[in-house]
Amino acid sequence: MKKLLIQGTVSIVLFFATWLALMQINWVKVFKIQKVTDHTERKLGDLFWKLYHKSEKESNNPFIINSVDSIVTKICDANKIQRQTIKVHVIMKDEINAFALPNGHLIVYSGLILNSANPEELTGVICHEIAHIQLNHVMKKLIKEIGLSTLVSITTGSRGSTASVKKIAEMLSSTAFDRGLEKEADMKAVDYLIKAKINPNPFANFLYKLSDEKGNIPQYLNWMSTHPDSKERASYIVEYCKKNKVTHQIVLSEKTFEKLKEQLNAE
Amino acid sequence: MINVSKFIYTPGEDESEKASNSYLMSLIAFIVGLPLPIVNLIATLIFYLGNRNGRYFVRWHCTQALLSQLSMLFVNSFGFWWTVSIIFTQETVTNSFVAYIFSALIFNLIEFVATIYTAIQTRKGIHVEWWFYGNLTNLLCKP
Repeated sequence: MKKLLIQGTVSIVLFFATWLALMQINWVKVFKIQKVTDHTERKLGDLFWKLYHKSEKESNNPFIINSVDSIVTKICDANKIQRQTIKVHVIMKDEINAFALPNGHLIVYSGLILNSANPEELTGVICHEIAHIQLNHVMKKLIKEIGLSTLVSITTGSRGSTASVKKIAEMLSSTAFDRGLEKEADMKAVDYLIKAKINPNPFANFLYKLSDEKGNIPQYLNWMSTHPDSKERASYIVEYCKKNKVTHQIVLSEKTFEKLKEQLNAE
Repeated sequence: MINVSKFIYTPGEDESEKASNSYLMSLIAFIVGLPLPIVNLIATLIFYLGNRNGRYFVRWHCTQALLSQLSMLFVNSFGFWWTVSIIFTQETVTNSFVAYIFSALIFNLIEFVATIYTAIQTRKGIHVEWWFYGNLTNLLCKP
């Protein structure tokens, strides 16, 4: 019996030792898995953005771009995120929406800026989208919904009709990540805000506002459809904020924010 | 790892063939049902159930074949479901996953070679006891 137990233990240990030893090899690098994914993400990002750029009107107003850029730069600097990895685009559209495309393209609709009560609300939503980018949620979602092989074939041109690319791009802007990923992005967004010394409570207020006013204002439906359970999300953000009290700084002055809205209305 | 020893009696031609078949059964099922790790276990189990009242030499080897399949079931099932989760969920290919698949492949290969060797030897009436499984079978299978 003792011999049997020793032999059994040795067999199990041997298996785990083999696994542990093989784990020391960087297989992801050996099989160029990351390289393929990165390359695919870069190509997809460019493809989707080109498509958006063609069909939607992007703001070229330097004041608008600089104002949104300053928010993104503040978040990136405070959280050690490489600023050049986030490519911000302000699209002139009434819908309240913001979303991330592959390869760090962050799309912000003018409707979102105009309907934010203060810069902190807008910053909260931007942080949430940056979190999706940094946590690689966009590619994870695409791989889950479409499959890596189809994505690779789209980027190589073997299966990439404009219609299918457009359909996938639309999916990114109008469908939700799953609950787990949304919560992860919310928490990360709050962490970003706290590190950047920006009050996270307005972000929670924005979510409350979404859940309360979704029936009255049709534009709200867009970000709502991609971000369900806003009330629940607002609650756990408030709870999380209580545990992390910090001093807050202004992200954009009231005057600049008002001017930003004015310029957007004038466009 | 593999110990050739003398069995308590000399098995007849018919017994050697049946004992050898228990290993062949798992081999064929292994090839047929490669993506589904449960297939070879079921095949070996059916063969075991069919021969559990047979003579000692046959019973003993059916049990050893079944036990070896049973432990590989855990290894392969884990690898199988891990792969499924990568394909259908947000799980990604990591170094741990590739290392696990290679470890499972190495152990499956060792088992595969050992099974072929044992099938040949038992067909000749030679009694082959595997490391760990041999002792476990001795414990469970009495004359």
